[in-house]
Amino acid sequence: MAGKFFNISKRLILYLRIWLTMSRNSFMIYLNQKKILAIFLTGKILRFSFFVAFLYFLVVGSESLAGYSVNQTLFFFLTFSLIDSISQFLFREVYRFRTLVVTGDLDLILVKPINTLFRVLMGGADVIDLITLPPLFFAVWYVGIRLDPSTLQVFLYLLMILNGLFLATAFHIAVLALGIVTLEIDNTIMIYRDVTNLGRLPIDIYREPLRGILTYLIPVGVMITLPAKAFMGLVTPVGVFISFGLGIVVLSASLKVWGFALKKYSSASS
Amino acid sequence: MSKYLQVFKISFQQEFAYRLNFVMWRVRNVIQIFLVFYLWDAVFANPDRVVFGYDREKILTYVFGLLTVKALVLSARAMDIAGEISRGELSNYLLKPLNYFNYWITRDISSKALNLSFAIVETLILVIILKPPFFIQSNLLAILGFLVTISLAVFLFSLLLFIVSSLTFWMPEAGWGIHFLVTVVIVEFLSGALFPLDILPGSLQNALYFTPFPYLIFFPLQVYLGNIGGLEFIKGLSISVFWVVFLWFSMKAIWQKGLKEYQAYGR
Repeated sequence: MAGKFFNISKRLILYLRIWLTMSRNSFMIYLNQKKILAIFLTGKILRFSFFVAFLYFLVVGSESLAGYSVNQTLFFFLTFSLIDSISQFLFREVYRFRTLVVTGDLDLILVKPINTLFRVLMGGADVIDLITLPPLFFAVWYVGIRLDPSTLQVFLYLLMILNGLFLATAFHIAVLALGIVTLEIDNTIMIYRDVTNLGRLPIDIYREPLRGILTYLIPVGVMITLPAKAFMGLVTPVGVFISFGLGIVVLSASLKVWGFALKKYSSASS
Repeated sequence: MSKYLQVFKISFQQEFAYRLNFVMWRVRNVIQIFLVFYLWDAVFANPDRVVFGYDREKILTYVFGLLTVKALVLSARAMDIAGEISRGELSNYLLKPLNYFNYWITRDISSKALNLSFAIVETLILVIILKPPFFIQSNLLAILGFLVTISLAVFLFSLLLFIVSSLTFWMPEAGWGIHFLVTVVIVEFLSGALFPLDILPGSLQNALYFTPFPYLIFFPLQVYLGNIGGLEFIKGLSISVFWVVFLWFSMKAIWQKGLKEYQAYGR
């Protein structure tokens, strides 16, 4: 038992070291193109600021949004941004996957003695998102304390954020799998982003059947809205437990789909 | 003329060559409309409510108008110019007996025609599903004003695209970055493509009206809704015309300077 635990720990450390090396390489590519880095960073900051300003003026002008106050509405958006930025920071490599499949260069990754999914999912961390994360953490904290949460609510929020990241991982794996089967990834990943963008606002604003779809079929609600609701004390611990179960089931299913898709890889062009 | 007709036909067929790509792009547009529609639906849950000068009927008409107006104004292929400059492929066109600006305008028209026809069908389907109250403009002058401002918006966006793409002459590696900043982020928010600009504070609105962005989406839709007329319309139209003329001459100057910088990298 102790030996098995030792082996798993050794393997985890090995993968952490590989990830750090791949991330360092990815950061160096970005940092060598300072102009591009500055342009994209400015774009991201502007987009974030514009949307915060829009939500602020909208909710102040209309007094509330589906019963939520300005701070609550902003907290939903900040929670969305947090999960979105962390998953983009970790999974940026997914956006480059199509080239590997259509050129057959995926072969070069398949023959390497590391997990292929790990490489294509986490092989190119995004430094721009890394830069935006600290101010985002601050904004979540700044708006969050104005909602006066209890310690339990903060704990449930953190737990649900973790669950949201599980779901985001599952979505990215599914996009990769679809990329192998259909050779289409650019728009699929953008559709994923558009669908998760629906979580920028509490899913309570959507009517049925869209609300149901966003809760159960494509669990954007569980991924983004529920963590913020847990923070506001609007979700019971049982609800958190069920959501966590859903996160684990969806993640397991995405891994199965990935395994299936990998068998369909035809090594075209190589 | 016939050569541009051929460019139009080829460009139209090219869109169909990547059918899944095109369908996905349209699906994305519809998803984006869902966010905006339900957001305003929640704000106007009470049908008698008037917020920011809009009632439920007018705001939802604005939302659905976005689908059509965005297809007409913001659908364009000319963003590919940046890639052609940075890869040195521009040389192929410089050697051909064709006007590069007209070539891309023709390709843009083909893209707009295709996107517009899809947008109309999507709007009809969404109207059937969501059953929003619709404001039908019956004032012929307002409709005429809408058509004029839309035409100006199409020119304005094409010129903006050309200028933004021309910057690639000086920064070949930053082509997509500049597009992301200007045509994706700035245009999306400041043109009214996500929300009507009159929810912003008055001072901010007044400053924005002197930029070209509101005249891409917000101004034409306001004219259609009948919220802008008389002197305000003349003022907006004049600023819009000013920007078209100004950007036209700027584009020509920047393009000429850019061509002198062009080194056909990769060729």
